[in-house]
Amino acid sequence: MNLLPIAGPRATWSLLWSEIRKLPVLSIVAAIVITGGSAAGLVAPWALGVLVDDISGGADRSAIVQVVLLIGGAALLTGLLTALGVLLVARVGETVLARIREKVLDRVLQLPAPVLDKVRTGDLLSRVGDDVATVASALTDVGPMLLGAALTIILTVGGLFALDWRLGLAGLLAVPMYIWALRWYLPRSAPFYSQERVAMGERSEAIIASLRGSATVRAYQLEDVQLAKIDATSANARDLSIRVFRYFSFFTSRINHAEFTGLAGILVAGFFLVRADAVTIGAVTAAALYFHRLFNPIGAVLMLFDEVQTAAAGMARLAGVLEMEQITAPPPGAGPADASIELVGIGHAYDGPLVVDGVSLRLEPGERVALVGASGAGKTTLAALAAGVLTPTAGVVKLGGVDVQALGEDRTRAQVALLSQEVHVFSGTLAEDVRLARPEATDAAIEAALETVGALAWVRALPDGLETVVGEEGHQLTGAQSQQLAFARLVLADPPVAVLDEATAEAGSAGARELERASVAATAGRTTLIVAHRLTQAEQADRIVVLDHGRVVETGTHTALLASGGRYAQLWHSWTGFKPGEPGGRTTPANAST
Amino acid sequence: MSTGELLRRAIRRHRGRMTVGILLTALHQATEAAVPVTIGIFVDQAVASGELMPLVWCVVMLFALFAVLSNAWKLGARQIVRAIEFETHELRLEIAQRVLDPRGQRTGLRSGELLSIATSDAEKAALVMRALSLGCAAGTALLVSSVSLLLVDVPLGIGVLIGVPLVVLGIQGLSPLLTRRTSTQQEAVAQTTALATDLVGGLRTLRGIGAQHNAAARYRRSSQDTLRATLRAVSTAGLQDGVSIALSGLLLAAVAGVAGWFALNGRISIGELITVVGLAQFIAEPVGTLGYASQVLAGSRASAGRLASVLSSPPLVESGTTTVVDPAQPLLQLDGVSYKTLADVDLTLRPGESVGVLCYDPRDADALLTVVAGRALEYSGAVRVGGTAIDELDIDVLRNTVLLERHETDLFEGTLRTNLLVESPSLERVMTAAGAADLIEELDRPLADRGQALSGGQRQRLGLARALLAEPPLLVLHDPSTAVDAVTEELLAEGLAEVRSGLTTLVLTSSPALLGKMDRVVVLADGAVVTEGAHAELAETDATYQEAVLR
Repeated sequence: MNLLPIAGPRATWSLLWSEIRKLPVLSIVAAIVITGGSAAGLVAPWALGVLVDDISGGADRSAIVQVVLLIGGAALLTGLLTALGVLLVARVGETVLARIREKVLDRVLQLPAPVLDKVRTGDLLSRVGDDVATVASALTDVGPMLLGAALTIILTVGGLFALDWRLGLAGLLAVPMYIWALRWYLPRSAPFYSQERVAMGERSEAIIASLRGSATVRAYQLEDVQLAKIDATSANARDLSIRVFRYFSFFTSRINHAEFTGLAGILVAGFFLVRADAVTIGAVTAAALYFHRLFNPIGAVLMLFDEVQTAAAGMARLAGVLEMEQITAPPPGAGPADASIELVGIGHAYDGPLVVDGVSLRLEPGERVALVGASGAGKTTLAALAAGVLTPTAGVVKLGGVDVQALGEDRTRAQVALLSQEVHVFSGTLAEDVRLARPEATDAAIEAALETVGALAWVRALPDGLETVVGEEGHQLTGAQSQQLAFARLVLADPPVAVLDEATAEAGSAGARELERASVAATAGRTTLIVAHRLTQAEQADRIVVLDHGRVVETGTHTALLASGGRYAQLWHSWTGFKPGEPGGRTTPANAST
Repeated sequence: MSTGELLRRAIRRHRGRMTVGILLTALHQATEAAVPVTIGIFVDQAVASGELMPLVWCVVMLFALFAVLSNAWKLGARQIVRAIEFETHELRLEIAQRVLDPRGQRTGLRSGELLSIATSDAEKAALVMRALSLGCAAGTALLVSSVSLLLVDVPLGIGVLIGVPLVVLGIQGLSPLLTRRTSTQQEAVAQTTALATDLVGGLRTLRGIGAQHNAAARYRRSSQDTLRATLRAVSTAGLQDGVSIALSGLLLAAVAGVAGWFALNGRISIGELITVVGLAQFIAEPVGTLGYASQVLAGSRASAGRLASVLSSPPLVESGTTTVVDPAQPLLQLDGVSYKTLADVDLTLRPGESVGVLCYDPRDADALLTVVAGRALEYSGAVRVGGTAIDELDIDVLRNTVLLERHETDLFEGTLRTNLLVESPSLERVMTAAGAADLIEELDRPLADRGQALSGGQRQRLGLARALLAEPPLLVLHDPSTAVDAVTEELLAEGLAEVRSGLTTLVLTSSPALLGKMDRVVVLADGAVVTEGAHAELAETDATYQEAVLR
């Protein structure tokens, strides 16, 4: 199992930059407005310094009025520019994020099947889920604050130097202290943070294992074992959090030291500068107030460092998905001539021995062929190969006379559908679920498809009919109902060829019978290759192909194969539960066609 | 337990730490408030005077102030965090204990919701202590600032003390709108995220019918909706920021004007002017913190409410007190039991007997399993285990007597071996009997992802081996071979019969291989027993039965 790639910093930035460049005007205006807002914020401390000087210089009332008007005017301007700037910056940032997440999901949905089989589902899900959410929340919650704080810091330092370069230098005394604090903290805390995240994962794992398996926990009286596990993992996470915070508290204390250094530096330097008549008391006051004003933004930048790092890691993981190679569509050529499938000398191996070996098979348009064999015989692999989902390591799969490789993913999918053993009910309304197969389908078309597979009756009986919310958070459908939805999607997608590898065993015996009816109805008129999990599925086929260890060992109709007494006949007896020759053994099932 | 009780108990449980923590963080806020005051004094006494001694004193004063400020926060915040972390841990364990209670739980919540209660709600509820310490600290800062302002000039002080809270309250007038839009935005983000994981979870299904493009288009629509919701929330946040900056700036202008006027008249000194202006800027912070603390408290209350409802939910069933299981009596006896879809079912398992039950309707099987596990509420008829009514039996005695293994096998962290729960010399024999001989080699393999990486068949066979190793007097199996191929199923059926020979076993299945190995088969249709007999006999004579077991 491989992990998906993670992009390097350079690739991550270039992705962001290329997206930002697609919004040139908006980005530039946003940058100007937000900078203007921060600059206007510098007026007040400077004006207060002027006020102090005016008063010590014994100015008149009009000077005070001027200062008041200046501070008031600057306040209104800062407010206006900040409000506007936050909105503009968010518009750039959020639009970029939305485009990136759409690209990432699109890419994941298009991942080639062999790649998909090799990556961990958990990793894939966390890329499109957690990582997107982390980056989004960092951007929305932290982004404006961080940008504002960073700009304020830069401009305030500029303001300090504008007052007097020596006061500016005195303030800069704090910089090495801040850097020292950060360099002390980051390397110490980083391993703890990752340990903490691992510990939290273990804790959730312990809790969820107990919750999901609570029936088993009770049945086997494992409560104490599981509680001890939760206790241990939760205590471990707790202790790590406390230790991380200890480091954090030392870090904060170092930040306070830096604040003291800068403030004392400015005031002491101011003292000597005023004594030497180089600057006014007002300038020192303004400088001290400037610096005091920096406490919060600097604190914010340092404290948000972790979140920024987390978001950057998430972004790198998203950019990593986009680095994966894409399927390149083959040049357009002739489409399939008819609904036939032909497998020519097919072999397939998954990094090991051949699972399918030298299979050649042709399905005429409209023909129904069943694949039969013990587990591990290669039925599922052969089905995936025939549907063009897997690419064979040897041989050629032809749809309507055209090589699948030359058709490309989209045209292959329009020609052949594969219903796999995985049954997934998509969250949302039932109509939306079925409509995934054909977005432009009307409600009437959806009802017709449901009717075809015998599902309309129970769908209508649901609380909100077609509009009932199903899936993980919604109304829970039974296994058989979920399978019927999959058939309804097939009917709506309406491909000329269908490959069915669906499991019906868990539907219970009555349900399985209904599903077989649905299966036949859904594939009526299509060329159908069906992996037979139950005997009746094989029996209803025009032709049966028996696989053993990846090879075709028998082929023929049900009666012919049964009469020949070969592998199929053996499997048949094992399926029906009777040994050949026993009184219960039958050669044809009593009511098989119902 | 009510919400309030849960929160009060949290504080009570950590009262020592909380007292120290609150005192120290309050001291920290007081010193923060003293920073602008100190700057004013510094300028007034040292910078304006130009003399060295006051300078030395002022530097010492500033140093002392920062020393207290930094240590107070460091030590105080650590105490609060310890209290919060320990409380979170305790709450989490209480929830886990409640949920795993042998008698079951009646919260009606899904495991996902319970997980979020045990993790994020436990964390949020414990934050009541942060809300309390923040509130106390902010209150102290306000108090110190007020006293300082009033010492400088009473009318000016009163003006600032009325003006600042008014401005802060004015800004918070926008808060309800912001909260609403933010929560809409967060919901939108959550929905888009859920959609993405849902689509990727069903990726093979999508790919099978070539619906990836349609899925991507659906996601794009959702993503764009989220973008719009986010921008709406951000515009409100931006407006609030802007209004807040403008209003506090206007207030500062007013304070500066009045204080400057007073300083010009000699009513206050230059240093006092700086102090007043500095405090006027500072005071908005603790007022804002009070607002934030109230939000944290509200969040904490909401989470505590969910915790309290789980902790006070009654158990699903009450444990009985009888510990007598008479070995001579049938291990299981159902007398006219009606429950959910079951109607008047009679079923008796004599000691040592193996019985197969075939349910034409899966709902009958579910109902029967619930009854047998002793988890059925409001059923009619009598259910007896070893002669004792199932409700009167002590829950542990019942669990020692009846073991139920379902077909969706729950596995846990660890190795295959630890998941089998018992170290027994017959381990290999039993695994072979369960059709899991191929897994003997891999017994010590660590199990990732709660065994999700194993195939359905491997999980089922492990579950069966685990159940056989537990050697319960009555073993109840539900569809133990649905994910197992016909050949292995045959082996497994033989193995089951062999290992359980002489013991009592009930198997709910439609597998002919398993049914063929049972002493007798009971058939349930429409909630009632319709027929009974040996498998071979039923398969020969009963057409409906034949069709049901036919694979």
